[in-house]
Amino acid sequence: MMDWFWGLAGGLMIGSAGAVFLLYNGRVMGASGIIGGLVDGSGWGNWAERLTFLAGLIGVPYLLSLLIGGETHLTSNWFVIVLAGLLVGIGTRLANGCTSGHGVCGISRLSWRGIVATLVYVGAGALTMALLRQLFGVI
Amino acid sequence: MRRYGYALLAGGLFGAGLRLSGMTDTLKVQGFLDLFGAWDPTLAFVMGGAILPMAAAWRVASKLDRSYLDLALPGPATRGIDRNLVLGSVLFGMGWALAGLCPGPALASISFGGSGGLAFLLAMLVGMIVAPSLRRRLDAARPSPRSKMDIRALTPTYAVSPQIDPSDLPAIKAAGFTTVIDNRPDGEIPADLHTPVMQAAAEALGLTFIANPVIGGAMTMENIRMQAEVMANATGPVFAYCASGNRCSVVWAMMNAGEKPTDDLIATPAKFGYNLEPLRGQIDALAAQKR
Repeated sequence: MMDWFWGLAGGLMIGSAGAVFLLYNGRVMGASGIIGGLVDGSGWGNWAERLTFLAGLIGVPYLLSLLIGGETHLTSNWFVIVLAGLLVGIGTRLANGCTSGHGVCGISRLSWRGIVATLVYVGAGALTMALLRQLFGVI
Repeated sequence: MRRYGYALLAGGLFGAGLRLSGMTDTLKVQGFLDLFGAWDPTLAFVMGGAILPMAAAWRVASKLDRSYLDLALPGPATRGIDRNLVLGSVLFGMGWALAGLCPGPALASISFGGSGGLAFLLAMLVGMIVAPSLRRRLDAARPSPRSKMDIRALTPTYAVSPQIDPSDLPAIKAAGFTTVIDNRPDGEIPADLHTPVMQAAAEALGLTFIANPVIGGAMTMENIRMQAEVMANATGPVFAYCASGNRCSVVWAMMNAGEKPTDDLIATPAKFGYNLEPLRGQIDALAAQKR
């Protein structure tokens, strides 16, 4: 029942994080781009900035989990986990952005790429759920 | 150093927001995508909440020349919608629904996501490592629609062109050019057209490649001086490109201010559709300085 409140509050924090990263670091806050540039080598020019961002992204939820716990309810099906991870990794780098880059940062500047990408991945996600959960019941 | 402080702050706020909003809980994400099941609207509140401060930040950024830490701001979002954007988003959406994780929450939940979370993250990183070669293969299978090459010779030794891609370079060499100038900042173009890629491709053909990024509407004297220096040192005709060829034309007019009549410096680019008339005063002023 308080889900929408925490959703909104957490969302405001995510948007504020993007605002800080844009106005101070001069960068678009996209999770897939920040980590992707480190693993494929295209972002080694500012690796230290990327690593400190990731330290915050990983460290603060860790500290919070000590206080309020954390549960991801991730599926225990290893095949699904690995397939999903591969699809997310390839897809976000091919599209040059994910929920944070295209969704939050793109839509908020009314970028057509951000708007189209978001409609497409939400649409593809909803279709996947409709087929695999509602129709075939496999996830 | 402050740069790293703000990066840590942004990452921490992002992580806290993801955890508190419930986005590290895959049930909430899958619940949002499950339109025909027990639909959970939380993600829409998260998105809406995040877009509000971010929209304000873009408005503030549009009035700044540089970030508060004097770092370059992102260029305008000029890239169009292409096949990679759509195909990549389809794949991403499928994976997102399958596990209920996208890159941000996958990282944010790594300390409490157990071995499953770790496996997802590792698979995601493998996907990110293979993505560039997959993209190259996809792009090679179909000629890039991004190249808009059109050689527009302002003089016998200087031509301008809209954006090119590496596959255009052999034709540029065959046309007799020895030097290629990239007047476009990397921030406004896709990674596979960035300076290192273009430079490597040009140098492999024996062309000299110089990056002299001109920010639209914010050309510097250093830009003009550098372009002139490249021209002076070139062993043959010079080919310059930017988004449309306009910036290359403006730099050319500025570096020739006083050397040639201003009327000619405006009339020549005009033949190719570049309107430099609004810059007449600046060209004249530069010419006067040189005298």
